[in-house]
Amino acid sequence: MASRASALERPAFRSIGRSLLLTLPIALWSLLMFTPTFRNGSRALSIGAVAVILFMTGLFFLMMRTGETYRWRRIFFVALGFLFPIGFIASLIAERGTMSIPISRMVSGDTPYCFMVTPALILPAAFARTIVFPGSILPTASNPHSIAVMIGLWFAFTLVLGKAWCSYACFFGGIEEGFAAFSKRRRLHRFVTRYGSILRLIPWAILLCVVLLSAALFEPVYCMWLCPFKTVTEFPAVRNVETALQFGVFVTLFVGLVVVLPLLTKKRTQCGFFCPFGAFQSLFNKINLFDIRFDREKCVDCTLCQTSCPTVALSKESIHEGKTLLNCMKCGACVDACKKDAAVWHLKGTPVAVKPERARLLFLYGAWALATMFGGSILANSVATMVHWLPLK
Amino acid sequence: MAALSLAASASEALVLGLTTGPVCMASCGPVVLPWMLVQPKGMWSHSRQLFLFLAARLAGYMVFAAAAWLVGAAIPREWSGRSWAYGGIDLLLALALLVYAAGWPRSRRASSEPSLSLVEIGAAPRPRPSGALALGFLTGINLCPPFLVAGVRAAQLAHLSGALFFFLCFFAGTAIWFLPFLSLGFLKRTPAVVTVARMVAVLLACWYGFSGVSLLIERTLHG
Amino acid sequence: MKEDIVSRRMLSILAYTGAALTLAVAASVPFVLMGAFSNAVAHAGLHIDAAFSGGTVARTINRGAFRIVVYQPVKPRLLERIEPFVQIVFEPVDAMPARVSEEIDLDGDGQPDVRVGFSVPADPNAPLHGDVTALNGKYISFAGVGGESFSRMVVRAGKQIVVRVPLNRDLARR
Repeated sequence: MASRASALERPAFRSIGRSLLLTLPIALWSLLMFTPTFRNGSRALSIGAVAVILFMTGLFFLMMRTGETYRWRRIFFVALGFLFPIGFIASLIAERGTMSIPISRMVSGDTPYCFMVTPALILPAAFARTIVFPGSILPTASNPHSIAVMIGLWFAFTLVLGKAWCSYACFFGGIEEGFAAFSKRRRLHRFVTRYGSILRLIPWAILLCVVLLSAALFEPVYCMWLCPFKTVTEFPAVRNVETALQFGVFVTLFVGLVVVLPLLTKKRTQCGFFCPFGAFQSLFNKINLFDIRFDREKCVDCTLCQTSCPTVALSKESIHEGKTLLNCMKCGACVDACKKDAAVWHLKGTPVAVKPERARLLFLYGAWALATMFGGSILANSVATMVHWLPLK
Repeated sequence: MAALSLAASASEALVLGLTTGPVCMASCGPVVLPWMLVQPKGMWSHSRQLFLFLAARLAGYMVFAAAAWLVGAAIPREWSGRSWAYGGIDLLLALALLVYAAGWPRSRRASSEPSLSLVEIGAAPRPRPSGALALGFLTGINLCPPFLVAGVRAAQLAHLSGALFFFLCFFAGTAIWFLPFLSLGFLKRTPAVVTVARMVAVLLACWYGFSGVSLLIERTLHG
Repeated sequence: MKEDIVSRRMLSILAYTGAALTLAVAASVPFVLMGAFSNAVAHAGLHIDAAFSGGTVARTINRGAFRIVVYQPVKPRLLERIEPFVQIVFEPVDAMPARVSEEIDLDGDGQPDVRVGFSVPADPNAPLHGDVTALNGKYISFAGVGGESFSRMVVRAGKQIVVRVPLNRDLARR
């Protein structure tokens, strides 16, 4: 992971003038994205929009100025991870007074769609044209986050980002990334190093199970039994033993995988060792044009990249082959950690380590634009919610 | 006349099997899929394992057919003991999956990996026929609704041989739905694929175990 | 050697073209792509699973100010873990009396099949106390508060009261 020490050791990567020039498209894009908010939104939302424009533009400027990606991206991502639940929970409490979803909401199609259930929907949709999710296909007044809208958004993002969705769009991953950053010491390092090659296969096994069982039972198995983030969003109301058990599982997984283990290991343990949606997104890395490669002539096998990777997407074998594993989420941690500039951003089809900064820029423009559009709007809403709480005249 | 009657019975059973095949695939698929993924790559190996699985499943069908006919009436759909049977079979399936997930043999060991069998990544194991037989038989005697429907019909036939023949044709109809699993024979077998398959078996064992225990507890509490 | 250089150059050109296209795709997401994909999903002929949606409408019964919408029976699919049920929707809530008690013909044979009774509280968030009495063996009676399961409930959903009456499993198969 990029440390404070490495950032201070390196001279500024790029002049202020050039950095500002390169940041200009993102600034303009941000203004474009939030213009409707300024026209139609409330004062609180406008304040939120201004804050987000400055925030996103500022972080991009720092990416350009320092040449680093991971530490600035992480600030955005952690902010997203912690502020999203605040805004979401506040809206739930305002609307119905509780985080739990009563069964009436499920039968009326008012459950907002979450992208994490997407893999489980595929087989029932393909064979029976049925969506096994208690939402609504088209947006309604009470449920604007309908299935069609969210799937459309997810697919469009995935075309551009591939698995980088997990670094620039997922509004849950920032929670554990925040806890991972909080801890100073890396505990359980030996355990993760020794068993990492097995642990990173667990999401694939969970994905396969969830897909098979959802198709057999015609229910969203992951949502009903395994999603840790139900703890910070909404969960089926406890009405019998089964739902009580489900709630217990959600809380246990959240505390274990999202809070405790990231604190101990400084890894994104839920993302790397559990999330079946992440495994599903990994498949799209095959068609994505951007990846991270290793210049074998410069690499000294210090394994700093391996240590820094938050999801164990690097192995000795893969580094020797000059590439990451399929579950790389293009967060840039290894690139920023490498002291020999052996780990580089890369555009598939071009030579490795030739103009890596160009590949990084091409990737970042797309990723940051989408992050501003989606994550930025979530942040603006959450800021607006907090502004509402303030006694502003 | 007898030939006509036999043909009618056969076609009825076959059609019943074909139409309820998706149910069989949905209930047995989660068991078969990880098992097949563990087998070495190659159509011959896969065909052999699938044949053993289906043969054991057929044996389960024949046992049930004989029992249903001998009892004189099919197990009624609302038979209160069905939940006990479901629960018990689910637990046995869970156990079988755990045994084979934990104990599948490996032909090579990666020396840097620890020796715990579940966490070891190695090459695809030598196939064990007993796995296919156990899983096939347990899925064969699983009292799912199409199975009971066939049982009702079989028990109405005049002779035991007729009941067995009916279930043989019903089995053939359902077995056709398992043929697509042979395509797994073309899938490349990396150590990762094998390890994921074993993990899937463990997770599904947890599901079947939970399902079985829930059924038994519910039956105990509500009678 | 020269061919290698040419082919590598071609590949690089393709790669940068692809990258430029990716940027174009990213820029078009909020304006074109997201809407296009959403429309595609919306027009894919998909429907919400009947366990959640209640199935398709069978008939509507007018009761003056309000109406009763009876749905087709929903039977569990494959290994779905729900009991078979029939959904009945009373709407709109605002037009209903404080206490509703109706005998309803669910299967369209002209004979009432269930008697549904519930009180309509003024507070929309308050739970509903309801009772459903089966008038023949095809349905299962129950009484209670709110939604026990997807197969048996008396709940308020927006401007509707949703009632789900469980079907006798054995008879439901016929």
